[in-house]
Amino acid sequence: MTVGAYLLVRLGETVAALPAAAVRRVVRGARLHPLPGGGAGILGLEEFAGEPLAVLDLAHLLGGEARTSRPPVTVIAWLGSEPRRDLVGLGVDDAIEVADLETDDFLRGQAMRNGLPVVIVDTGRLGQNVGDAPAPAAAR
Amino acid sequence: MSDRLSLRRLLCGAPILLACLAVVLIATGDFAGFASWRATASLLGAGVASALTLPALLRESRERAAGRAHRNGLIASLAELASADLVRAKSLAGNLPRSIAIPLGEALAPIEVLATRIQRSSVEVAGAAGAVKRIASELAAGSSQQSASVVEITAAMEELAQTATQIAGNASAQAELARVGEQTGNDGAAAVDRAVAGVERLRLRIAAIAQRSAELERRAAEIFGVLALVEDIARETHLLSLSAAIEAAGETGDVGRRFGEVAEEVRRLSGRSRDAAASVRRLLEEFSSSIAATVEATRIGGREAERVLQRVSSTAGAIAGLRDALVETASAAREISAGTAEQRTASLQVVQTLREASTVVQQIADGLRSFSGTARRLEEAAVNVHLLAQGFRLESPSSLRHLAETWVGELQLLLASPDALERRIETLVESRPDVECIFVHDRRRMRTTLVAHSSLAGSVEISDDIRFGQDFSDRGWFRAAATERRGVVTPVVVSTLTQERVVTAAAPFLDGDELVAVLGIDVNLERWTSG
Repeated sequence: MTVGAYLLVRLGETVAALPAAAVRRVVRGARLHPLPGGGAGILGLEEFAGEPLAVLDLAHLLGGEARTSRPPVTVIAWLGSEPRRDLVGLGVDDAIEVADLETDDFLRGQAMRNGLPVVIVDTGRLGQNVGDAPAPAAAR
Repeated sequence: MSDRLSLRRLLCGAPILLACLAVVLIATGDFAGFASWRATASLLGAGVASALTLPALLRESRERAAGRAHRNGLIASLAELASADLVRAKSLAGNLPRSIAIPLGEALAPIEVLATRIQRSSVEVAGAAGAVKRIASELAAGSSQQSASVVEITAAMEELAQTATQIAGNASAQAELARVGEQTGNDGAAAVDRAVAGVERLRLRIAAIAQRSAELERRAAEIFGVLALVEDIARETHLLSLSAAIEAAGETGDVGRRFGEVAEEVRRLSGRSRDAAASVRRLLEEFSSSIAATVEATRIGGREAERVLQRVSSTAGAIAGLRDALVETASAAREISAGTAEQRTASLQVVQTLREASTVVQQIADGLRSFSGTARRLEEAAVNVHLLAQGFRLESPSSLRHLAETWVGELQLLLASPDALERRIETLVESRPDVECIFVHDRRRMRTTLVAHSSLAGSVEISDDIRFGQDFSDRGWFRAAATERRGVVTPVVVSTLTQERVVTAAAPFLDGDELVAVLGIDVNLERWTSG
């Protein structure tokens, strides 16, 4: 059993948990600039701290339906692991809270919160698959 | 000589006085006096005859030249005068010596003239009296009809007056109803005006409410804008608290713990802010929804008020028209009431006038009936006068006695020849239109020749029982002629042929002193007097 801090986000009816260590900031969804040829999982580019930042569709990355509208909340997070990791924006429907979750090796990629299942997002693996076809393997 | 002059004066004056007396008696209708006159005339005639006979005897004794025949002739002439047979009296007087015949003729002449005039006038009087009787009868009948008509008209007019009275009463009641209707119309128009004003005030109030509701809606929109800003801030705060919590999670130690507590506190505040904003939004949405409903209700109410106002305005126009119509109706009803009242008064006046006219007409009818009776009596009196005048035998077509005796003279020689007698009678009966029939009853042969006027031919059947074997000697005309031995005129009887009044002029056929037959002539009084 491992206990860690996670940022709980809502993707439609699904609650996902991002490791707090991989999250840098939670901001309101800003205006997106479309990125030609970016693929189905890339929503566009937005400005963060004066730099362009790619915003990805987290729900699509987790194997769900691609969203059609601009996400109201963008989670600025590191995808990948050292030494190669990228700062990206993850478009979600809402950011709920920062909470400590207990993860079980037997139930990899899932945890329970208030009796409801929470999808644990593996940001290290997810960074490797950016630009590839979405796969449930992104979940740890 | 003086005795002869006195006697002549007596002879001349006595008949004149007698004639004048007769005229007076006839004119006054004193027929009993007239009969007495005839007796007196006979006595006077006898007296005069005695007076004349006496000088004739004296003269005969003195002169022994005058003959008894002259005396007898004078007596006979005076006797004929006493019988009012002026024709024979004149004839006998003509056989007397000139010294007697001339004064006697002078005495007879005025009587003859007077009697002729009386006969002629009596015919005219009888004709006029008959005409007056007919006219009076017609007038009486017409007046009775007129009276009945006036009574009917009066009854009809009384019904009309009664109807006019009822109409006047109804018109008065209608006028009162119209007045009430007029008052009601005025009240209704005033009520509608008040209703229009009320609806207009309601419409203005609804418009004011709509305006206030629009203002509230605008303010609610502004509140929504502020609320959105609050929510946005709460959301930003929430995200900021999450970022702080992530920063705190990255920190270790007491600082990280306290930073995490603050971040958590900020997150809760932001959550409460979001919840409060959501509550405000719900309330505001309910409030806005109520305002929208109010706005819609006021919009519908305003539109309905407009429609009601239009309808009420239309109703007000209709009621105004109705009120005008009621005013005109009331005016017309008042005029009708006044007119019918005048009509009732006029009808009553007409009824009163008709009643008076009915009374007058009734009086006229009564008077005319009385006049008709008087005319009938006058005609009867005229006929009586006429018949009395026929007591004179004169050489005149008006003298029926003379006619009968003249025709007896014509028919005397034909008695032995019944066919010739009948043919001659046929000629005679056609010579006068007033003669209904002529009959000759031959006493010796017991045969009656009877000929009716051609105008009655076909309607008169004369049987052989009448022609042969029937004895007419018991008839009045026969007995009178047989008794008088001269022409007579019988009283008025009703003809069995025409059912009209006739008189019979009869004269005897004498063979010496023997009565052999009697001629009868039925003269129709109506035709006689009217012809």
